[in-house]
Amino acid sequence: MEKSTDTSLYLRVNKQDKDALEELYDRYEKILFSFLYKMLEDKGLAEEALQEVFIKIWRGKGVYDESKGKFSSWLFRMAQNTAIDLIRKRKKPTVPIEEASQMVSNDEPVEEQVVWQEKKTQIEMAVQHLSAEQQKMIDLFYFKGHTHETIADMCDIPLGTVKSRIRLALKKLKTSLHGMQERGAYDD
Amino acid sequence: MTNIDCDYLVDYLNGTLTAEENQQFEQHLTTCTECQEIVEATGQLPYLADPVEPPTDMKARILSNVFDETVEQNDQPKALKPAMSPIPIHKKRRKENVWKPLLAAVLLMSLLGNGYAFYQLSDQPAGTETAIQSIELQPNEAFTGTATAAMIEEEGLLNLVVQADRLAELEASQVYQVWLIKDGKPIPAGAFSPNPNGEGASYYQLETTSEEWDTIAITLEPKTGNELPEGQIVLSSEI
Ligand SMILES: [Zn+2]
Repeated sequence: MEKSTDTSLYLRVNKQDKDALEELYDRYEKILFSFLYKMLEDKGLAEEALQEVFIKIWRGKGVYDESKGKFSSWLFRMAQNTAIDLIRKRKKPTVPIEEASQMVSNDEPVEEQVVWQEKKTQIEMAVQHLSAEQQKMIDLFYFKGHTHETIADMCDIPLGTVKSRIRLALKKLKTSLHGMQERGAYDD
Repeated sequence: MTNIDCDYLVDYLNGTLTAEENQQFEQHLTTCTECQEIVEATGQLPYLADPVEPPTDMKARILSNVFDETVEQNDQPKALKPAMSPIPIHKKRRKENVWKPLLAAVLLMSLLGNGYAFYQLSDQPAGTETAIQSIELQPNEAFTGTATAAMIEEEGLLNLVVQADRLAELEASQVYQVWLIKDGKPIPAGAFSPNPNGEGASYYQLETTSEEWDTIAITLEPKTGNELPEGQIVLSSEI
């Protein structure tokens, strides 16, 4: 059977097709849960955020079309924004790192995990091209959801330049990611 | 930066723009390759996460909450409404393996005409562990219908088939809703409406085992898709 594209599933979801939503859910459950867990460091909160994301999709809050880029990028941005809302709404207990690492799955790699692993390696290498300060900036901005004020404090830079520094960090990330993907093309 | 709109990029990614600014920036994205590429690159960052195994029953919880349009707040798992408990239960249980897997598959198909359910059960390697538990549900006083539930466990999935008959006709919006209950907390587990012969059946699949549940109940709900029971319990049993 032909695998539906994300976009075609999303269009069916717009028509309140439950099967299509379930299929999107299955496709993205694990990466979203893992990503949200990385951000929120709490399984309950990660589940809450994940549910919020799918409620938004189901109720048509936030509209996707292909002019907005890849569906996955759009979905991840919505998940990231949802997690930030949760972070800012409540104080969360910090989970010790040992506990976090125990939760890492030891499953045999399946196809989806292989793809994930490839992307992970790629983005990790791209991140390594950034300066330590830029890496910290992306972590604070993207994963920790800190405000510009906090980032200015933590990185000891003027508030007025926080945004342009973040942009610069992301731009450099983009450039090294592109470079790698082009080199990757030769490997294939 | 070539355009004043490029300034919005970071706030856009952060979700702090107003709806109007957001729209304006999305317009900008269609014309600015650099912002576009940065947005795409940022969309790769989630892959940095280490894989974490989601809880097995999370999917059932989330999807049932998502499909329940009436619930605005989904923060907490809610307890059964006070009016709903205690549930009148007359324990009568049989554990047996009278149904062969093939029979169960055929039953599923005949109940649902659902090819998907059939393949779920039949497309298994030989020797797959299958546990079948059959439960007779007991009617509440004043309810004339009867129902049998089959819990079929295969490969970590619980297939719940409910078959009922001698059911009264329903109004158009009403539905018989099946619930699995643990410590007074119900989750929806299938729904059916009676056919003209007063028969109804449902099929539901969860990533759990039957041990995780203590009670199965059927309520008469005023509408479909309820996340929590509103109506009366008409049939129930311990598991
Ligand atoms: Zn731009």
